[in-house]
Amino acid sequence: MTDPDENESPHSSLAAGEVGLVVPRDFVSAQPFTFKSGQTLPGFTLRYETYGSLNATRDNAVLICHALSGDHHCAGVHAADDRKPGWWNNLIGPGKAVDTNRFFVVCANVLGGCVGSSGPSSVNPATGQPYGISFPFVTILDMVRSQKLLLDHLGVASVHSVIGGSMGGMTALLFAIEFPAFTRRVLAMATTSRESAQAIAFNEVGRQAIMQDPDWNHGDYPKGGGPRVGLAIARMMAHITYVSDASMDRKFGRRKKNPANGEAYNFDVQFEVESYLRHQGQAFINRFDANSYLYITRALDQFDLAHAYGSLEVAFAPVQAECLVVGFTSDWLFPPEQNRQIALALLRAGKSASYAELSTDLGHDSFLLESEELYALVRAFLERHEAAAVDFSI
Amino acid sequence: MTKLIEKRTVDMEVIGEWVDPASRVLDLGCGRGALLHYLVQTKEAAAVGVDLEFKRITACVGRGLSAYQGDMTGFMRQFPDRHFDRVICSRTVQELDDPTGVILEALRVGRALTVGFVNHGFWKNRVDALLRGRKVRNDVYTTEWFESSPSNPVTIADFEHFCAAKGITITRRAHLLGDWRTPCPALPNLFAGYALYDLAR
Repeated sequence: MTDPDENESPHSSLAAGEVGLVVPRDFVSAQPFTFKSGQTLPGFTLRYETYGSLNATRDNAVLICHALSGDHHCAGVHAADDRKPGWWNNLIGPGKAVDTNRFFVVCANVLGGCVGSSGPSSVNPATGQPYGISFPFVTILDMVRSQKLLLDHLGVASVHSVIGGSMGGMTALLFAIEFPAFTRRVLAMATTSRESAQAIAFNEVGRQAIMQDPDWNHGDYPKGGGPRVGLAIARMMAHITYVSDASMDRKFGRRKKNPANGEAYNFDVQFEVESYLRHQGQAFINRFDANSYLYITRALDQFDLAHAYGSLEVAFAPVQAECLVVGFTSDWLFPPEQNRQIALALLRAGKSASYAELSTDLGHDSFLLESEELYALVRAFLERHEAAAVDFSI
Repeated sequence: MTKLIEKRTVDMEVIGEWVDPASRVLDLGCGRGALLHYLVQTKEAAAVGVDLEFKRITACVGRGLSAYQGDMTGFMRQFPDRHFDRVICSRTVQELDDPTGVILEALRVGRALTVGFVNHGFWKNRVDALLRGRKVRNDVYTTEWFESSPSNPVTIADFEHFCAAKGITITRRAHLLGDWRTPCPALPNLFAGYALYDLAR
């Protein structure tokens, strides 16, 4: 997903109705962890944040699952002067659609990530060096299982909802499949049960940009070093897939960076969109690890529910959660049709499932949209059943 | 609009009588889910609705219902034969682009199909058309011709003719007078305000 975002209106992150100051914590599991690949780690760390509090019956937890380039910091700020809040701050907070007055919200950086959780940039205690590509291969299933251990550690008896967009949607669906009795609601947005060839292709171009950079050095590079050019290019390209023709046209059009210069017959930045993408690439290399990018995109590509379980209906057979899938009309990375198919398969499997489709022109990242319609839907889904009165109005 | 809401409730009760407890029900054009909610509450139906509008899906979701935003024929094509015990098409049939296609597809995915519609042949509509010579407007037909999407008013005689022509079996009928409550004793195409049909292949 794109960064949460440049054009976000200035806000008071400590005001009422905001999550406010938050402190990330580390969950250190000392138990050996066996990955789906069969590889093992003696233990692992997940960095996470929580907002709100767990109730007495320990059943009001909402797990937020992040996308490829996201992390555990989904709401609030780390310091009063932080320039921007967590990536889903518009959705999560006191009185917001995911109401932290009611829910105990948990979000963890995924296994394989690079923002505090165990991943390829973590130091291998056996060598004293970063794991690099000797880190076990990570799958969405490994992300699910590790986050379940975190929820157990936090004392969560059953999770009220698992919510995520894009990769987070995959994680949420798999949570309901793997832990059916534990998972009561699933809200998956802008997601897919398996990536199309096009989505895999984009990931592969990103990986090649990284791996063809000589500084990648087969994944062996010091912290802060590595394939900065390759990673920046991967990010620039991926960023295009998160937005849309219409939204880029509205944001940049053909505007020139320095219109006074007239026609410039060189390859310096001319268009604003070029400058923007270069900035995106540069900002990304300062916060993301190239090997993590390889690992997580591979996890995305390998995710295929129909293949893993025989068919989507078989995959969804154990699900007990009520499910809501949301597609966005302009999402061409995980298009509405792929979201629709998830809901249809759930319904064919006899599950409680809804599908809603929001008209937007912002592309894949529409799930991060500031939209009252989307908030109303999320709120309706999370707070249903609490409306006790039977209402037969039209 | 109070009168219309009341009428809708009557419609729900009649349909409710035809729905078997705990059966699997699909509502085409479910709106905000009032009928589905009623069937879930009174019949413990496993219900799903289809509608085109995001806000209506939101309302259904808020009621704890399963609802799918999209085209009803496209939705039905994704399900095997006789997946649903009953498909309901309540006051939707006159809005369809392809009523035949929807009804035949509904009879494929459903063991039974309930169709409910306002009888356009009701005597008041006839008198109104005759005397005013204009598009019928009343509690039921609330819009001017230029305000609404094209609708395709249907009469009881038209519908019976359609079923005969397509070889569709009518297993049950309910014809209600203009109050949508009292059973219509005779000449339904003239005296019934509302008609409900239970169909099978």
